[in-house]
Amino acid sequence: MSAPGGGTEAARGRTHRGVMGVFTYVDDAEAAIRALRQAGHRDLQVFSAVPYHELERALEQPPSPVRWICLAGGIAGLVGGFALCIGTVLWWPLVTGGKELVSLPPFVVIGYESMILLGGLFNLIGLLLLARLPQRRSPAPYDPRFGEDRIGVWVPGAGAAASRAGQLLAGNGADEVQHHA
Amino acid sequence: MSGTLASPGAASAAGPEPRGLTARSLNEDVLRLIGRPGPVWIVAFVLDLVVLLIGALALRNEIVLGLGVGGWTRPVMWATYITNFVFWVGIAHCGTLVSAILFLFRSHFRRAVYRVAEAMTVFAVLTAGLFPLLHVGRPWFGYWLFPYPSQRGLWPNFRSPLEWDVFAVSTYLTLSAIFFLVGLIPDVAVARERVENPVLRGLYRLMSAGWTGSNRQWRHFYGAYLYFAALCTPLVLSVHSVVSWDFAMAQVPGWHNTIFAPYFVAGAIFSGVALVINLLIVIRRAFRLEHLVTLEHMEKLAKLVLLTSTIVGYSYLSEIFMAWFGPSDAERDLFLSRYFGHFWWATWTMFTCNVILPLLLWFKPVRRSMPALFVLMLFVNLGMWFERFVIIVTSLARPFEPYTWGVNYRISWTEIAVTAGAFAWFFLFFLVFVRVLPAFSITEIKETLPVPRRRQP
Repeated sequence: MSAPGGGTEAARGRTHRGVMGVFTYVDDAEAAIRALRQAGHRDLQVFSAVPYHELERALEQPPSPVRWICLAGGIAGLVGGFALCIGTVLWWPLVTGGKELVSLPPFVVIGYESMILLGGLFNLIGLLLLARLPQRRSPAPYDPRFGEDRIGVWVPGAGAAASRAGQLLAGNGADEVQHHA
Repeated sequence: MSGTLASPGAASAAGPEPRGLTARSLNEDVLRLIGRPGPVWIVAFVLDLVVLLIGALALRNEIVLGLGVGGWTRPVMWATYITNFVFWVGIAHCGTLVSAILFLFRSHFRRAVYRVAEAMTVFAVLTAGLFPLLHVGRPWFGYWLFPYPSQRGLWPNFRSPLEWDVFAVSTYLTLSAIFFLVGLIPDVAVARERVENPVLRGLYRLMSAGWTGSNRQWRHFYGAYLYFAALCTPLVLSVHSVVSWDFAMAQVPGWHNTIFAPYFVAGAIFSGVALVINLLIVIRRAFRLEHLVTLEHMEKLAKLVLLTSTIVGYSYLSEIFMAWFGPSDAERDLFLSRYFGHFWWATWTMFTCNVILPLLLWFKPVRRSMPALFVLMLFVNLGMWFERFVIIVTSLARPFEPYTWGVNYRISWTEIAVTAGAFAWFFLFFLVFVRVLPAFSITEIKETLPVPRRRQP
């Protein structure tokens, strides 16, 4: 097990306490997650190279709230774009081409582009905050095989609870069960 | 993971899937491109630098001697530089079409090709952005284009289409770069674990931001990715519409036309897809990736070119019809001049390359022949460059006042060198990209592979 980007967690003086089950098959990992959740383990971490709907359903994850952050950015951009145009022409009233100072139709373009720009920037900020990126330390022991074709199910804990979790992982088809204490 | 539009394995029924791949071999195939460059790449890189240097010298000449060496002649005060600007903004559109619009439409064939298209978008916008700066003559004052509270209290004119362009293109550059970099995160995390070069390893560690592929990360990643796509879709349609309004908002004959926005957007996708096809043909051949980017992928892209060619052709004919049918003598005169006047050769090059030659794509053997497709796409981009040239130069050379008609614009060596330098600038980014970053999306292609299940449902 190594930290993302090289070096072992132990070598960096960082340790995790829990059990990691390494799976080849998605349905095995799904069954293990359901069994663990039934046994009362709610803080599972699942690692995979691609997202799987089966695992998402087993974890009962709600949709990401990033959309609300994106919406807030879009609204701020729309209001800000119009405010910039209207505010600046009123601040320095310079008539060009005999047109109205506050000409809303051309300002729609600026408002529209600003809405998309801020919506996108807020979306990025939302992603980074909610996914806790950038992260220097993985919340569980990271295995580069999770970026290839293996699925990792991490159950934090120690003692008897960790042993029972290890049995559940092995009983549901885990290729490997690694105890970290 | 919430927000994922298709579960892995769902693509197989919906589109072409790469053949003979496993999750592990896919990692190896894509990451094989990264690393020590071969002699062909080095020769291409050196040639590219030479052309870029020639362009830079021409640019230095123009800055020292003034814009007069750029071939501008009254009344043609927008010429090759604005042609290049519109051409490169157009090229950029394909990337967003493939990565965002086709993502929302769940068109799975995009998965194998979108990274190349997306990279092309970012590099093309970087190239396009050079030209308005060069065109204004004093590029070091380029920041005057942006609104900022200056000591004099002056602000840009937000009623001008040129200012709309500043907002549209800078928003497009920002969002397409974010979309590109965010999409790279899971793939550079895979590369981070494999690459041995310490510089690249450091770069990937930085770019992957500690990505581990946890359920929390996937959940928010795809949640955000969906909204990036949803934002980029109206953006891409608006950017070339705004570029078209640089022309259509003026009363110059040949420009003042309501068809311009859809006409420009279709033309942009047409040229962008053509360049993506060219790039993919070279990459899949050079790196032996025919099993990853299959003939089916290439054929679908060719069909997209055919579709947009018909829209562009319809627009050309519609313009001619409206000039004939409409009340404006100046408009009618302009179109006669365009097709049979001083610049007839440019107009017919445009029409032949964009409307007549793409008709060959109705034939399946042409769509599946890589040499034929490569040559045809080169002609398409030649034609699309001339389309912008025709729109800009022929209209400006034939304004309302007949006394200016005798002055005919001639392209200068400076413009030719700067244009060539712009191509070199674009390809410089691209050459580095294919050697440094994963040029194909490992994650998204992996999603097209069969889901590993012990018990088949």
